[in-house]
Amino acid sequence: MRSSLTRRGLLAAGSGLAAAALPALSGCSSLAAADSDPDTLVVHTQLGTTAPGSPTYLAALDRFRKENPGLKVKNLINGDDLGQVYETSRLARKEADVVMVNLYDKTLAWTDVDATVDVGPYLDRWGLRDRVLPTALQAWTDARGRVRAFPYFATNWPVAYNRALLDRAGVDAVPTTGDQLIAAARKLRAKGIAPVTVGGNDWTGQKLLAQIIQTYLTADEARHAYSTGDFGGRGVRDGIDYFVALRDAGVFADKAQGLTSDLMTTQFNTQTAAIQSAMSSALAKVPEEVARHTEVGGWPLGPGAAHERPTIIRAFTLIGFWISPNGVRKIEHVEKFLRFMYRPDTVSRFIRESGRDMALRTDTVSTDFPLVAAAQRLGGDVSQVLLPDVYVPPAATQPLITATSTSFTRGTGAAKVRALLEAAYRSA
Amino acid sequence: MKLGKRWLPAHLLVWTYAVLLVVPLYYFIVSAFKTNDEIFGRPFALPSSFSFGNFSTAFSSADLGLAVGNSALVTVVSLVLTLLLAVPAAFALARSTGRTAVVIEKVFSLGFLIPTFAALFPTFLLAAATGLFHTRTFMVLFLPATAMPLSVVILVQFMRTVPREMEEAARMDGASTYAVLRHVYTPMCLPGIATVLLLNFLTFWNEYLYSLVIIGPDPSQRTVQVALPTLKSITGTDYGVLTAGTVLTLVPVWVVYTVLQKRMQQALVSGAVKL
Repeated sequence: MRSSLTRRGLLAAGSGLAAAALPALSGCSSLAAADSDPDTLVVHTQLGTTAPGSPTYLAALDRFRKENPGLKVKNLINGDDLGQVYETSRLARKEADVVMVNLYDKTLAWTDVDATVDVGPYLDRWGLRDRVLPTALQAWTDARGRVRAFPYFATNWPVAYNRALLDRAGVDAVPTTGDQLIAAARKLRAKGIAPVTVGGNDWTGQKLLAQIIQTYLTADEARHAYSTGDFGGRGVRDGIDYFVALRDAGVFADKAQGLTSDLMTTQFNTQTAAIQSAMSSALAKVPEEVARHTEVGGWPLGPGAAHERPTIIRAFTLIGFWISPNGVRKIEHVEKFLRFMYRPDTVSRFIRESGRDMALRTDTVSTDFPLVAAAQRLGGDVSQVLLPDVYVPPAATQPLITATSTSFTRGTGAAKVRALLEAAYRSA
Repeated sequence: MKLGKRWLPAHLLVWTYAVLLVVPLYYFIVSAFKTNDEIFGRPFALPSSFSFGNFSTAFSSADLGLAVGNSALVTVVSLVLTLLLAVPAAFALARSTGRTAVVIEKVFSLGFLIPTFAALFPTFLLAAATGLFHTRTFMVLFLPATAMPLSVVILVQFMRTVPREMEEAARMDGASTYAVLRHVYTPMCLPGIATVLLLNFLTFWNEYLYSLVIIGPDPSQRTVQVALPTLKSITGTDYGVLTAGTVLTLVPVWVVYTVLQKRMQQALVSGAVKL
């Protein structure tokens, strides 16, 4: 019996395959080659596909490349899993030079474990400190005075009210108190409209719950509660009681405990819900026909609140530029990149083209995104509460979201909500 | 042929099962042509237009063309390597009668006991130590290693069904061991090989966690399963675009399944007859 494929032929074919495939698989385009190349700046970011601001970021990157022809820029994109990918890359000492991500969950520990470096000295050396809003700089500075990253994106987190739906339900004015909100919710429900939509099953619910609890907290009390997980104080208990009262009065959309941020924005954008607590990037995506009759304001206050006006969240820790130990080795390229991204014309593009709020000083106002601009103008009409992200220990972040989902479930009493929140910290 | 009433329950069950399969598929396909508002507002309605806008957005913004190419490269080379290793191994084990072969076969079966997550960190350390971290080469070497237990166990069972007389006849014609494998065992075990190919193709193509950690996010190297989630955004995902991207990444799976399904069904049926 004669084989059509001889052993020698098989070995030759195997060797050929290996010779052809292995260089393609490793050599010419591997990340190892790029991140060790002294003329390549590697940026790891969540911008670049469909995240708000991506087209502007990519356009800015193209311009940077044109202005710096000798410098190559490699853009690595991840979504929610960026933190995990960066950390494993760092363990292998193959991390990107610059990381663009928010201060939340895993990233809170990065400076402590030397996954990234203190950028304070670079801010001063490059003369960029004055470009940053003082509040933003404070938010990005840790307890030991280290600046974790170069602040960039900020956000307003107001409450959006669809006036057309409120009018249809017979609600004359945007509610500013809990009683008015409950009355508005009843009228809206009578017309088959969901009142407040919220992603009770994710971070949007966690933020709204924190905002409502802070109705009865000063900034220091809120900082203490969310840093330590001590939800036993008088103000916190009043805040939880207020939340439970609103929830049981039907203020939140049905099955809010199972909703996510996507469903929340969709319910609001399709006018099946009248009210949402939304950050600037979500406001920028509200369709024009809905935005036209939408007002932004704060969350209504309960009786005896610690604030004078309805509350909103303002956050300055949305996206910053973190410098990695690998980035320090190419610090002259990082400097060029950050000077470019901090340039007033680049900053203005993000505001004008993408409707982003910035953590930097700028006079540019968003004109194509009216709700974003309206939120910027709220100023003294609202009181401001803390974004808890910076204070919640990383290990408690996910348990806290799980606790939030149960909190949005009808029938969960105030004592149970408090126990759930405290348990989230104990399990961390 | 006229079917009696006793066939009615069977028909009902079959049609119910078919509907259970078709409805999610329909929802999946039509969603790829819709906006978020349509997906959530009228989930089962036909799309207002059959424009391919979502597909082109997904393709360009997540660089899916390159990602599909990377996935194809990793999957195909891994499959070739798996077969090159598993077929001779199964051939040797199937023909051996000694105790060592029994022990080796059981060692292969022990591979099933290793949980995926448990192997992640040691695998990461290995990739870093070998200098193959952030390369596709490591995945091409790693995936066949993970596929060996299932592949060898399946192929050994197929090869044991080949009558000894076939090999003896070939030997009398002067066939070498390699020729016996090439001309006797391999053709007779094609359904088994097709089964191994199909199962491993699905596993390799859909692999996410290791590809994410080991290959990483570099667009020039990342696989399609790593590229696809970049279409998600924490501040509002365009589900039409995401679904369109998912449809695009499933096309190769459908093609391969269509090509190999007859062989696999044949393998399953022959297995049933043997039982």
